[in-house]
Amino acid sequence: MPSKYHDMVELDSNEYIFGEEGGRGTPASVFFKKIANMSQKSSKKSKPKPEPSESQQITVGAGRSHAEHISAISDAQNVKKKGKKKQTSSERKQEHKSSSGHAHHLANMAEHNDSSPYFDLDDDWDTNFESTIIPKANARSISSSNTALSKPEPSEIAAKAERDELNSLVSRILKFQTALSAPTVDIDQLRNLSWSGVPPDLRPRTWMHLLGYLPSTAERREKTLAKKRLEYFNSIEQEFGNEGSMNQSMWHQIAIDVPRTNPHIKLYSFESTRRSLERILYLWSVRHPASGYVQGINDLLTPFFQTFLTQYVGTKKVEDLDPQQLTKEELDFVEADSYWCLSKLLDGIQDNYIHAQPGIHRQVQKLEKLMTKVNSELIAHFKSENVEFMQFSFRWMNCLLMREVPMTCAIRIWDTYLSEGPQKFSDFHVYVCAAFLQNWAKDLVNMEFQDLIIFLQSPPTQDWTEKDIELILSQAFMYQSVFKDSMKQ
Amino acid sequence: MSAPRIAQFKLVLLGESAVGKSSLLLRFARGVYEDNRESTIGAAFLAQNVRLEPDLVVRFEIWDTAGQERYKALAPMYYRNANAALVVFDLLSQESLARAQSWVRELRVQADDGIIIALVGNKLDLLNQLKAESPNSSGKIGISEDAKSYAAEAGLLYYECSAKTGENIEAVFKGVAEKMPINEYFSSQEEEQQHAVDLGASSSGCAC
Ligand SMILES: Nc1nc2c(ncn2[C@@H]2O[C@H](COP(=O)(O)OP(=O)(O)OP(=O)(O)O)[C@@H](O)[C@H]2O)c(=O)[nH]1
Ligand SMILES: [Mg+2]
Repeated sequence: MPSKYHDMVELDSNEYIFGEEGGRGTPASVFFKKIANMSQKSSKKSKPKPEPSESQQITVGAGRSHAEHISAISDAQNVKKKGKKKQTSSERKQEHKSSSGHAHHLANMAEHNDSSPYFDLDDDWDTNFESTIIPKANARSISSSNTALSKPEPSEIAAKAERDELNSLVSRILKFQTALSAPTVDIDQLRNLSWSGVPPDLRPRTWMHLLGYLPSTAERREKTLAKKRLEYFNSIEQEFGNEGSMNQSMWHQIAIDVPRTNPHIKLYSFESTRRSLERILYLWSVRHPASGYVQGINDLLTPFFQTFLTQYVGTKKVEDLDPQQLTKEELDFVEADSYWCLSKLLDGIQDNYIHAQPGIHRQVQKLEKLMTKVNSELIAHFKSENVEFMQFSFRWMNCLLMREVPMTCAIRIWDTYLSEGPQKFSDFHVYVCAAFLQNWAKDLVNMEFQDLIIFLQSPPTQDWTEKDIELILSQAFMYQSVFKDSMKQ
Repeated sequence: MSAPRIAQFKLVLLGESAVGKSSLLLRFARGVYEDNRESTIGAAFLAQNVRLEPDLVVRFEIWDTAGQERYKALAPMYYRNANAALVVFDLLSQESLARAQSWVRELRVQADDGIIIALVGNKLDLLNQLKAESPNSSGKIGISEDAKSYAAEAGLLYYECSAKTGENIEAVFKGVAEKMPINEYFSSQEEEQQHAVDLGASSSGCAC
């Protein structure tokens, strides 16, 4: 990444003003004002988090290490001591939706049956938690929404916000656990929960449910999994059994791309990883001849592969892991599950990879149209510099932003995408791309063609965490709420 | 010392996937080589200077395209208006040469008439290694000869280089830079400036 480049960019203090055309024709909603406020803030860090909407609360996803830590202490007993937590609108909605689920009831009991004041369980992890997982901006916005409800003393606001946030994290994990262990998993509830991020430990199973790979009824799961895995291995045998009948040009392209997949992550440098990726990609490609293998599909496979590996090695070590350390059976399962989940994901976006890639062209056009509403000044600037959307956003569509953000962020994006569902996430993706582009707008309006393109093809996201991507996702959600109708015309 | 004059041109890289287009550029622009870098999706952009004389610099705006067949439809967007094209192949792959030839044909029909095309055989290090391993082999190693005679026939610049060792990389870009219509560039710039001055004078509404 040409970080040196960033030093050359002269930051301008002009504050960006929200595009005048934005939202024209849509009812003047509350969202609209909020977006306008957001884009007038000059610094990304100081942007307030959008407030939760009626239909979708955007909470902090469980950070990787903290989630692990929390899950260790998240038995109901401990949670009780955490004190009462306010119910948000989306929680109410979820509760309503799953009124039949008694598992959910349990989670709520843990959360609401006690009104004793906040009580620290364990000081040493709690401080650590406060300093890293709850950004100040976030705490502020949460507290302000609570102010409206309960009007606490101003001095208590920040502390209370942190307590609430912590409680909500613990209860989120509990909710996932109870949702996943129900005899019949309520997929809608799981979607609602997952939109805001899935705890790393529970991610493999949650993703498999969201994609419809795992049956929702518990008793069918074992059998279905066994059947699917067997089916995969039979297919592999069939396709690789006779070398002479292999599609050589397809195999060639896969074989040269696999070593070029995520070269900065050690996991992908091991032979056993590479063999697995080759088999998965080749099988998918011969089974989908209309598209065949297209570069970029290799990128899309890796979040699955890496996430499913965590079932056997934990979430921290996976990026340095030589999968050889797993038993053959474990690795086989990871491979088969990755194959099926990749298939499910790609089912919704086949248009992106067939001849002439019409899906991508459509999305690029949509992004351009959307941006004229979000920020017409930026669009005018692009025009005057002869920057075309195709030049920088083709890859955003082709690899779902995976090349633009670190792997942890890509995985976090997928929590949200998979909860949107395979048919719908690609629509949402355009809004995410708009939020991503708008994120740099203030810098971009001062750049000339060369700098613009160079910046956009390697935006400075190296140090991004899940927090950063969550801001993008929540802004995208608001864009979608505001512009959805006018985008249809 | 006065600042050098800078003439700017557009250059595009074409060629089959994995022949080393991106590696070649990385070597040229930053002097480094990595065994495994990500494949190119769509196209990647870079600007790089070549100093031809102490006071003359050619600045290339470079589009590095993606080699996979599926992306072929995007290429015209990048080669239209290009002043130069590097059509790259792998010195050990007959197929990649065939692909290069089809790019040359397409450029001849679709690109600007004045476009300078260089046929560039990459991975020279591998070819040399193979030759060293079988010094007495009477059989032909690689496809150098075919490529060379094709280039001569078709009136292309021809280079063999290695992104890995860096051998001959400078020569490729320098050779192409020398073929650029530098004088035309400067005279058309002057014209433009003159034009701007004229416009400025007439619109200032002086009493003449
Ligand atoms: N030995 C040797 N290998 C090279 C050389 N240049 C590139 N390679 C290898 O070829 C692979 C592909 O190189 P890239 O530069 O990614 O190829 P590309 O033409 O840009 O490929 P696409 O982006 O897919 O079109 C690299 O991963 C290297 O391993 C070279 O000069 N010598
Ligand atoms: Mg490349």
